[in-house]
Amino acid sequence: MITTHQLANGLSVIIEEMSHVESASYDLFIPGGLVCDPSDRVGAGLILSDLISRGAGSLSSRQLSDAFDDLGIRHGEGVGSDRYAFSGSLVSDSLGRALELVALMVRDPHLSEEEIPNIQSVLLQDIDSLNDNPARRSMVELSKRYYPAPYNRPSLGDRDGIKGTTRSTVHQLWRKLFSPRKAILSIAGKVRASEVLKMVESLFGDWQGEDVSIPTFGAMPRNDYFHIESDSSQMQIVFASPSVRFNQKGYYDGKLAVSILGASMFGRLFVEVREKRGLCYSVYARHGSTADYGTVTAYVGTTPERAQESLDVLLKELNGLKGTVTQDELERARTNLKAALIMGEESPGARAGSNAQDWWLLKRVRPLSEINAEIDKVTVASVDEFLAAYAFSPCSVLTLGRHPLSVPSGLTGEVR
Amino acid sequence: MTIKVHKEVLSNGLTILAESNPANVSAGIGFFVRTGARDETPRESGVSHFLEHMMFKGTPTRSALDINLELGNLGAQANAFTSEENTVYYATVIPEKFKAMQELLSDMLRPALDPEEFAMEKKVILEEIALYRDRPHFYLFENAFKDYFGTHPAGNSVLGSDESVSAVTRDEMKAYFDQRYSPSNIVLAASGNFSSEEFLSDARALCGGWTDFKVDRDVSRHTSKTVYKEFRRKNLSHSHAVLLARGPSAQDEERYALSILANILGDSSGSKMYWELVDKGLADSASFDSDERDGTGCVMVYVSTSPSKLDDIVKIARRIVANPLDFSDADLERAKAKIVSRIVLDGESPMGRLMSLGLEWNYRNTSTPLSETIAKVRSISRSDIERALEKFPMNDWSEYRLLPE
Repeated sequence: MITTHQLANGLSVIIEEMSHVESASYDLFIPGGLVCDPSDRVGAGLILSDLISRGAGSLSSRQLSDAFDDLGIRHGEGVGSDRYAFSGSLVSDSLGRALELVALMVRDPHLSEEEIPNIQSVLLQDIDSLNDNPARRSMVELSKRYYPAPYNRPSLGDRDGIKGTTRSTVHQLWRKLFSPRKAILSIAGKVRASEVLKMVESLFGDWQGEDVSIPTFGAMPRNDYFHIESDSSQMQIVFASPSVRFNQKGYYDGKLAVSILGASMFGRLFVEVREKRGLCYSVYARHGSTADYGTVTAYVGTTPERAQESLDVLLKELNGLKGTVTQDELERARTNLKAALIMGEESPGARAGSNAQDWWLLKRVRPLSEINAEIDKVTVASVDEFLAAYAFSPCSVLTLGRHPLSVPSGLTGEVR
Repeated sequence: MTIKVHKEVLSNGLTILAESNPANVSAGIGFFVRTGARDETPRESGVSHFLEHMMFKGTPTRSALDINLELGNLGAQANAFTSEENTVYYATVIPEKFKAMQELLSDMLRPALDPEEFAMEKKVILEEIALYRDRPHFYLFENAFKDYFGTHPAGNSVLGSDESVSAVTRDEMKAYFDQRYSPSNIVLAASGNFSSEEFLSDARALCGGWTDFKVDRDVSRHTSKTVYKEFRRKNLSHSHAVLLARGPSAQDEERYALSILANILGDSSGSKMYWELVDKGLADSASFDSDERDGTGCVMVYVSTSPSKLDDIVKIARRIVANPLDFSDADLERAKAKIVSRIVLDGESPMGRLMSLGLEWNYRNTSTPLSETIAKVRSISRSDIERALEKFPMNDWSEYRLLPE
């Protein structure tokens, strides 16, 4: 059973009681994220999200870490493009203590200056190590070019922004952003809602803060083809084009269309690029969307001499989807999406996360029956309507490897 | 929350394990074949992994496309992996699709090995080898293990090389299958929301006709050695080091004590290496693990950092493992709490339970209820760790570094 509450200070609290588990999980979302970093300090949010767990209230960095570990709490503190996120999973008896520690971190962190150089050092090493994972690097490079600022900021921050961040940058960010006004605390597992709510009231009830405004999502940059020279064994080919936003009409048409195209083993890309031609090990297409934008991304990694053929087949499949989707393909994609929804929500961690995400996007939690009804409405005709509206173009393509590829003129633009 | 494991061994030697829990919303099923890179001759290098791919490429009654589409129709989350010692085929499905999934997976375990599909999949494997060639730490691990284990097969490469994979023929793969995929060398396990009775009776019908034959594996212990080697690569932004020493096997009782010690010294957070190396910003990664294999094993330190810092980092890591008993009672209790919590959390998902059921049987011919494993972890004391260190003193380190050219 799911209950929702809003504290007087604005904090939304979502609690799901689950009977068949021994564990519990929490997710706390605080609006902000890398889009709120000062433009000359991109990456300050990464330092803040790390620093916040290095000492809070009466606990030193070491004591805080030990307090989590003494109870075996599997926890994480991080920052995404538009939010700070705290999550944890634990044996449910320890939930009260876990929430106490989270409250300490977000409300009373030390943000101690002497820790900052250590964090900077590791973050700079993370940026360096991107070179050792070309697939990940190619996605980061495409995002930088595909999305409008500040939503194109790299998830690892930028070198100068990290180096330039001081204690005062981090402290100002924390004061400005860490507010209960639009924050969401989602808890799921072997818990009693009334008891959890009492704990949350006592730990977060007197937390105060201002409304936080997040930069609006601006106009998309011009689509283009980009090539980055690298002497890696494989060539990375990544593709992005606009799609339907979350909760917009046609959302599930888009999701299923992309599943028909790029789902792991039965999608057209896997069958055509890998199974029939043996061109690659990894190929896929995914549909991602938020309240602000939707994106279809596709990826193939292959050796240089087979890269052109791989790109050609990828584009042919993308362009050939409209008007050719069969009822069988649609049913397969539909079955998969529904099964994944059921299976993906088995654990308290998954439930807490998806409840928080629903609240973030919709200000309510959708029952599974509602999602299933939406998925059931999708027809071959409605998928074609989606494909007519979006058509995977205009698009951007980025390659990372030994030589640029030939991209059909009109699809994007010139090689930069 | 004690859930019983049903066990049955068919007359052809196939072991079947069923751990049914109606509270789950899904069910996991998997075949655990006790074969991998260490069971290959040099000429066969990579064939276990290549064969794992071929299991998805058709059976006498299904084409490769049939299998892909059927997995899609079942809404299955299906995959497979090959390691040095195990090849595992597994899937999670909603309960209504469990029976059909069992039938499909059982059929896949008797592959057609079609020559055209074989030639096509060979290209995919060569692409997979190229993919990992671009990941430097993977390159170091593979070469370090190969050198460390020497002539012992535990150091064999899972992927094989361009040369070995290019050279292997369809008939050689078939011969390997015929030597390794005996039902007595396989465990079929299931966990989650399904009917044990139906699962067992379907298993008898689907797999009872598989012919048994004898399968061997060399489970001798490797000879320890102490060497220092450097590997060099162009355009490397990070340097990495791996240190290996003798450690407990998957069968040694000392594995419990050493896995707790590994948590104290080298867990990803809150450990000695974390506080001395990662927290201080010296290394972006530093860990200490116990790598337990069939009949042999090693303990392993891994660090990754910028090239100029590597010498200092390795010195600190070596000091930590040279003083393994330098921890407090609170450190010990904390490590145990972390491990117990992981066991409980992983145990709540059918896939988590499935993996421990199948692999435990492959290594130890037993299945331990969660509650017993937890009690065992909780019982480990400082003197157990001292005793384990008498047998595995961690003073015989080999060191391998990957440095920029």
